[in-house]
Amino acid sequence: MHQKLSFYVDRDSFLHHLNPLTKLTLVLTLVILSFLGLSYWLPTIIFLFIIIPLSFLGKVAQEFFNATVKLLLPVVGFLFVMQAFFHPDGTQVIFSIWIFDVTVESLSFAYLTASRILTMVASFLILLLTTHPSDLMSDLTRRGVSGNLSYVITSTLQIIPQMQVKAGTIIDAQQSRGLETTGNVFNRVKAVVPLVGPLVFGSLVEVEERAIAIEARAFTAPLKKTSLREIPDRAAERAARWIFIGVIIIAIGLRIWLL
Amino acid sequence: MKIEINNLHFTYPGEIIALSGINLSIESGEKVAIVGQNGSGKTTLVKHFNGLLLPTNGTIRIGDWDTKDHSVAELASRVGYVFQNPDEQLFNSDVKSELGFGPRNLGYDDDRTEELVEDAIELTGLDNYRDTNPYDLSPTWRKMVALGSIIALDSPIVVFDEPTTGQDAQSVEVIARIADELHSRGKTLITISHDIDFCAENFERIIAMSEGEILLDGSVLEVIAQEESLATTFVDPPQLTRLGKELGFDQTVNDQASFLGAYRLSHEQN
Ligand SMILES: Nc1ncnc2c1ncn2[C@@H]1O[C@H](COP(=O)(O)OP(=O)(O)OP(=O)(O)O)[C@@H](O)[C@H]1O
Ligand SMILES: [Mg+2]
Repeated sequence: MHQKLSFYVDRDSFLHHLNPLTKLTLVLTLVILSFLGLSYWLPTIIFLFIIIPLSFLGKVAQEFFNATVKLLLPVVGFLFVMQAFFHPDGTQVIFSIWIFDVTVESLSFAYLTASRILTMVASFLILLLTTHPSDLMSDLTRRGVSGNLSYVITSTLQIIPQMQVKAGTIIDAQQSRGLETTGNVFNRVKAVVPLVGPLVFGSLVEVEERAIAIEARAFTAPLKKTSLREIPDRAAERAARWIFIGVIIIAIGLRIWLL
Repeated sequence: MKIEINNLHFTYPGEIIALSGINLSIESGEKVAIVGQNGSGKTTLVKHFNGLLLPTNGTIRIGDWDTKDHSVAELASRVGYVFQNPDEQLFNSDVKSELGFGPRNLGYDDDRTEELVEDAIELTGLDNYRDTNPYDLSPTWRKMVALGSIIALDSPIVVFDEPTTGQDAQSVEVIARIADELHSRGKTLITISHDIDFCAENFERIIAMSEGEILLDGSVLEVIAQEESLATTFVDPPQLTRLGKELGFDQTVNDQASFLGAYRLSHEQN
């Protein structure tokens, strides 16, 4: 098969060569920092000055911006609007529509939430774009994470791209039998309805087939398994991970101390 | 309806060159088989016929339509394409609605749709499975549902992508009969197949592809005689053809009748 079944982009970059666990630790550090609430602008700063440069470092900037604009911005934008209108307290009303007030407080809260979500998803996106799912899975298993758990993690990460591919083939099949799925809004909505059933049903069938397939290859055998993929892990990376963990601990400490 | 392809090039994302310079024209009512090794570009080529893929370079015209000016849905009224993998094609919850999906989209009224569906059911022998969910059928029957769903479109051009793969002798018979019937209705029939015996017995023209180009294009007898050329795209001539050659027949044979004819002839000579 040539269709892409994961976000992974095969390039040769510094980030691609890092151990998956190092990248995972880095991502967790960034996410925790964004959510701790040490500073209002921290998530924005992390996004602008760490995540975007990382996308260039990983040579996946184009894919990163694509996914951000197409996938993330609509969701984050929606969140922002909802929060701005429906945040309960706030006194300095900027404007109101019907019974909903947009206040300075709700706006600033909406911005904080949106920037946190953006930073969180964007950091995972960097991880996914530069890490082959199998590498992530075998590295986690090798470090003693249970096979079941790492299977759940990696297959969850692959759901969106797999759904995309599947939706693509179904749309092709429908168009080939005369269903107009492009053009005006009405056509598009009409096309989505017959899409949902086969998409969900097909995915369930696939899950079962995959479960049988991995079981046929002794997935639950109670033995220590070896891995075909060699995943390098350098001392420098181990040190880097400890530094990240240190940063997390200090940040949490600061947070508690400042309260 | 004529198919005209001019200097067609196609490259998949990731710089995978699948077609490089295809020139081809297929007249109304022709019965054409496309052969060639895995990855030679057969599926990529026929996906251009109904606009699922658009040329990177070059043009393809179906009748008076350039495929790039028309949507896939519009082209469905001219070209019916049966996917290589039926699982990619079926998405309705019972066979009847699967077959009726196309005609309804093309705007046929209920009576006409019913008529087309019944016709497709009869041709494919799906009579006992009208209300079955296609997913509960065996792969053989799913393939028949996929064929039926395209036959019901009643398009002047019908493309089958490997209809015989994984089918037993009996189903291959059925498919050959469907092909005959569609041909006798004046439709243009294009079939991709790895079963060269099936192609030689049931088609008039064979196109052999190799690495994104057309290697051979001609009448069945012309093409199956080119043993060496065919070997470069890993296609063996049909068994009877090879046997005939071994026996020293003067002419190329493609099916039982022509084999027996040539056999008698060579006996009379001796
Ligand atoms: N979706 C895709 N993305 C990228 N490359 C593809 C895709 N589909 C096919 N290819 C490549 O294009 C070339 C032609 O493939 P195609 O499927 O047209 O061959 P085919 O002759 O139909 O083969 P088969 O006999 O296996 O069905 C191959 O090199 C294949 O690897
Ligand atoms: Mg193919």
